[in-house]
Amino acid sequence: MMNFEHCIRCTVCVENCPVFRVNSEFPGPKQAGPDAQRFRLEREKAEDSWVLLCSQCKRCEMACPSGVEPAQIILRAQQRYGKEHPQTATHLLFANNYYLSALGSFTAPIANLIASSGIGKQLLQRIGVSTYIPFPKFLFRTLRNEKNMLTGGRKKVAFFYGCFINFYRPDIGRKIIRLLASMNVDVVLPPQWCCGLPALGNGNITLARHFAQKNAESLSNYIDAGYDIVYTCTSCGLCLLHDYTGILKIPQGKKIAENTYDLHEYIIKLMNEGYADPEFGAVPLKTAYHIPCHLRALGIGYPAQKLMSMIPELKFEIIDDACCGLSGSYGFKKENAFTAIQIGNRAVSLIKKTGMDTITADCGSCRMQLSGLSGMPSFDPAEILCESLRINELTPLKKPNNIS
Amino acid sequence: MSVNEYDVVVIGAGVAGLTAGAYLAENGFKTALVTAGEPTACLSTGCIDVCSLDTNPMAGIKNLPPEHPYHLVPEEIVRESLNIFKSAMANTGNSYAGSPEENRPVLSALGTSKISCFLPSTMEAAPQNMEESLHIVTFTGLKDFYPGYIISRRPNTKLSEYDAGSSNTMSIASRFEEKDFFEKFMVWMEKLIIDADKIAFPAVLGMASASDIVNTISILTGKPVFEIPTIPPSMPGRRLFNALKENFRTKGGSIYWAWPVTGIEKAGKEIEAVATHSEGRPNSINARAFILATGSFVGGGLTATRESIVENVFNLPVHLPGPRETWFNDDYFSLNHGIGRAGIIADSSMRPAASPWKNIFVCGSILGETQVLKNGCGHGLALATALAAAKSCAEYLNDEL
Repeated sequence: MMNFEHCIRCTVCVENCPVFRVNSEFPGPKQAGPDAQRFRLEREKAEDSWVLLCSQCKRCEMACPSGVEPAQIILRAQQRYGKEHPQTATHLLFANNYYLSALGSFTAPIANLIASSGIGKQLLQRIGVSTYIPFPKFLFRTLRNEKNMLTGGRKKVAFFYGCFINFYRPDIGRKIIRLLASMNVDVVLPPQWCCGLPALGNGNITLARHFAQKNAESLSNYIDAGYDIVYTCTSCGLCLLHDYTGILKIPQGKKIAENTYDLHEYIIKLMNEGYADPEFGAVPLKTAYHIPCHLRALGIGYPAQKLMSMIPELKFEIIDDACCGLSGSYGFKKENAFTAIQIGNRAVSLIKKTGMDTITADCGSCRMQLSGLSGMPSFDPAEILCESLRINELTPLKKPNNIS
Repeated sequence: MSVNEYDVVVIGAGVAGLTAGAYLAENGFKTALVTAGEPTACLSTGCIDVCSLDTNPMAGIKNLPPEHPYHLVPEEIVRESLNIFKSAMANTGNSYAGSPEENRPVLSALGTSKISCFLPSTMEAAPQNMEESLHIVTFTGLKDFYPGYIISRRPNTKLSEYDAGSSNTMSIASRFEEKDFFEKFMVWMEKLIIDADKIAFPAVLGMASASDIVNTISILTGKPVFEIPTIPPSMPGRRLFNALKENFRTKGGSIYWAWPVTGIEKAGKEIEAVATHSEGRPNSINARAFILATGSFVGGGLTATRESIVENVFNLPVHLPGPRETWFNDDYFSLNHGIGRAGIIADSSMRPAASPWKNIFVCGSILGETQVLKNGCGHGLALATALAAAKSCAEYLNDEL
């Protein structure tokens, strides 16, 4: 990483900052990152509360021509601020999103009733949670209870499904398991926790490290046993690949980075190696493919685009210039709601301009935001792939051989 | 085997890279473009300087010193590249005005004139002489534009100020894209009494719809309206970048962001793949040919050390203007620093001369002997050499099959 002194103050990062455009309280990545960094060298108590306005979309880092990483500088400042100041209720809540969601799914009918009722919403707003888009529905049957699918194939995958799929959309998770299994891949669900990104985003590095360490131990065992790790949520992926070796300094970080793949990247790898040869059927759908900021930041191109372009009758247009604005828990905080809505509306207007009638995005929270603001249906690219290969969440295996 | 296979990988997302990439993608080659970050084109005024030494840019090119890379490109290809650019921009809504035979002045934010060839249509009405009177409309607290500089040079200039509720270029430009904001603004404009010949704005009038916005204001007020390019963040530069990017993608190209090339794989006289840094397993892209369009020093294509100058991707031999003491003039503001001549020397096939590689093609400001500042030929040279490099690359790819 280049240090903050390599910044030549060209302002390209500022031009790319979605928050700066709509919220004048945030001084932008240049000032909040490299400019302010020299003052942070003095170990005085952090007073730069505006660092919390950064949504960590990383667009500044992708734009910087000098290799400075403003979002990374700000992320570290956020952790320092979090350490030196009392945590607000929402920060604590969202940092612990994993436990919260576990509780939510355990008490699913009640939790959903509360979250969608008028009183529940008032209560949420009281503690600082914004409710401009509906909170995702908890499901009693999460993905973690799903059985492994062993096909006896040479390739073995440990699926890091992430909280969103586990708690809110286990149906997509079940499809992905069957999608991989249909390519003769053994799929297991390793013991796993929140990747740690929500805790980092809420200035709680201790908790993030706690989650990361537990995941790293579990995933590392699977890697030793010959498994590849596959993730589907691009933000989980970015955290596993970049933050574990980077800010979180997880000892097994490098090993995980070497063996972890985006789902679509992995399928392409199987195809390139001649291991899989899926026959894509037609999917007559017109969809705007919104590229999540964190997919861009992964530096692996847009693997799902390649697969989608093999599907007959599928029409899609790529939009990678717009952040959706939600950034996980960022937009769910009352103080950020206005910013998140403004950013999201711009993304929606670009989507509407394409004339497509559905939205596709790899990231669950992008879909939540864009569907919520536009009223358009949205899909995970994996769902489209499954549709094309006629796989649904009940598709049985040829040779089911379940263990758990 | 690498996961990614392309016919050609373009390195660099500036005017040259996106232009070469669009041509190759349009001609049916599987084209990827990798970039470390966004290009210096974003910092530019968006004007296409073809050659500012003569009132006629095409004549100016002819008079450049023989070692200038413009001479590698036949005149009809220079013209073709400008035509392709103009129609591509018109298709994206970011239209340009001007002719390759004529240079014209553009009013700068300092009140001086910049000479350029193709102008964003929002600057087309810029004053051509000192007699035309101006009415500048600026925005309260705007940090990147000081109309006082212009007024000191053009005393018959009037000034009004609109409170856009924000003091930075990016957010004012975004607000102009909002219907409600624009309607309110137009109500305010209508009340303004303007007796000057022309109305000038700092270049913050929207992003993608800037041309329409300028036209609408012009129709309402019955006066010619134009934008004055500002210091970065420069909206006309960003509009240019966005339009080139859209054009590249429409033609079928894929872009890899945050992808600085940090390694290469080679065999014999061919480059086989480029790789980027990765926390884990190697992240590389294979291709049959490569276009090097990484720019010069600010763009990141070249790095100067105390003793030498290094090309950062393929470590190609770099042409030096002479020993270090000749790199810089004593006059800081000189347009004639020796280092402006540093870069890669290409042969007529746009391959780097004095290097073994047969599948690398070079274009844009990384070329040697450009003297971009002195000759006023930044984006124009990028367009021309990009087309020449892309054509040569296409020929190579076709022959190879």
